[in-house]
Amino acid sequence: MGNVPSCPMTLSTSGPSARRCWYQACWGESMVEFELEGTEQYALESYQWLLQRILMDMGISTMVERVRLVIRPDQTLFIISMRIKQSGSKRPLYDIADTESQEGGTFITIKDESYAPRLLSNLWHKYGRERVQQLTRLEIFVEGAPVEEITDIRLDPEEEVRSQLLDAMWRLLPEGLKVRNEYFNDDVMTIVATEHGMTVDFIAEAQNVHRNMIKGPEED
Amino acid sequence: MYEVLMFDGGVHKVDELLDLIEDVGGFILQRTQIQVMITLTIAIPGEDRPLIEKKAAELGGKIIEVPLAGTEIAVIGPTLGRHHMPHPICDIAEHLRRYGAITIVMGLARGRGRKTCQISAAEKAIIEEYDAAIFMLGNFTECVTHEKIDLYKDIQIPVVTVIGPELESLPHCEALVCGVGRKVERMRRSEEIAKLEEIADRVKEVIDKRRVEIDEDPLFVHPSEIKDALEDMEAVQVCLRPAPIVLHVDGLRVKIPYKKHVKELEELEVYGHKLKDIAIISDCRLGDSTMIKIKTKAEVEGKVR
Repeated sequence: MGNVPSCPMTLSTSGPSARRCWYQACWGESMVEFELEGTEQYALESYQWLLQRILMDMGISTMVERVRLVIRPDQTLFIISMRIKQSGSKRPLYDIADTESQEGGTFITIKDESYAPRLLSNLWHKYGRERVQQLTRLEIFVEGAPVEEITDIRLDPEEEVRSQLLDAMWRLLPEGLKVRNEYFNDDVMTIVATEHGMTVDFIAEAQNVHRNMIKGPEED
Repeated sequence: MYEVLMFDGGVHKVDELLDLIEDVGGFILQRTQIQVMITLTIAIPGEDRPLIEKKAAELGGKIIEVPLAGTEIAVIGPTLGRHHMPHPICDIAEHLRRYGAITIVMGLARGRGRKTCQISAAEKAIIEEYDAAIFMLGNFTECVTHEKIDLYKDIQIPVVTVIGPELESLPHCEALVCGVGRKVERMRRSEEIAKLEEIADRVKEVIDKRRVEIDEDPLFVHPSEIKDALEDMEAVQVCLRPAPIVLHVDGLRVKIPYKKHVKELEELEVYGHKLKDIAIISDCRLGDSTMIKIKTKAEVEGKVR
């Protein structure tokens, strides 16, 4: 199998050529559960390997909990569904910025610049643009907001994770499969791709994969 | 019979080596100097190799076999998109350079996909200007065996196909290397380097076969002999493009505009013959270069008679 790592395969009984594989890949601390289904073993294993490398390159391999790949080159069908790991750890504001109570409001000094755009949009959403002044790149003054209220703000990193995971999926999808449908909710993203026309069967299968991914492995 | 070798060493007293190469009737094909280190690709008569090796050892340098020297090879991917470039296509191209080949990387305009993949006549014509082509076709057996093979079906130069899945053989190609599919990182693991070596070996075999075919009806002159004559042309001397003259198995690519210099090239004298009598000079498909295909001895002598 060339340079693709070996993967324990168990043959599915659902079809003559369908193969299924449950494989847990460990990269450092991370653990991703892969479920592969398709007609070509090399394609499945190599795309699993590719996705692992893409996630590692982007530094987001710890954010993925479960991946399901359905690859059927004979039908020109490619489905990828990815479940995001529940981070459960919204970062509190005091983690990323210093706050100081001042006359007429609260002065914020950002320590972790990567959270600056999200903090700013959160403050705009909460207090309105007219009350939030961005004094410098890392300094914000919020008029009429008590420091305790500001300190209680917690920032959700998942929006950024979702956009990174979407980028990883786009990198993985074969270039020629230009006709794509996407399904997503808070934790699961699914893309079905084909070359010519998207058929009702493909859409139904992708929606089924998406639903099963939301339910989790137990109910699958 | 000329033998193509590479000298790798320092610049100190390298003139002595250059003089010796000239004395034995050899040629410098390529000279790359980086500060005090120098790499020379040379073509020398096979029987004088011990002399050159002795001089190289005397200068503290080494002589390396470069079996693909004097060839220009195209490595072709379905597109130039990030799905195919830079890995593994550039890795293959880079590895072949270590064996002396000049390589180019090319992406087809519409090579991706299954039913929609295609190659244009212009692309085929460009590819046919090279000595051999390596086609990189991806990970899906179904796609490769049913559709992608049509990409190189009509190409008139030897084709080495590189694919991911293990297959016994594929039609229309001279060699097949399996186990190299899509990559998102450099091929640097030992098993990947072994695959690169395998690709280089297949290309060497294909080129050797081509050389043997040419030897059955040998060229009137060796391409390096024409290179030697071309180097005296002013247009070549002032050409700032890297490697202004590239050797092929049966000719050369000169990176000067065809329309502007065709007359001068036709009148160029090589061993008492005009270049137009011993070679076919034509415009190159890729901007501002000229292709020279050397005629065989039989073709030239038949015409002279």
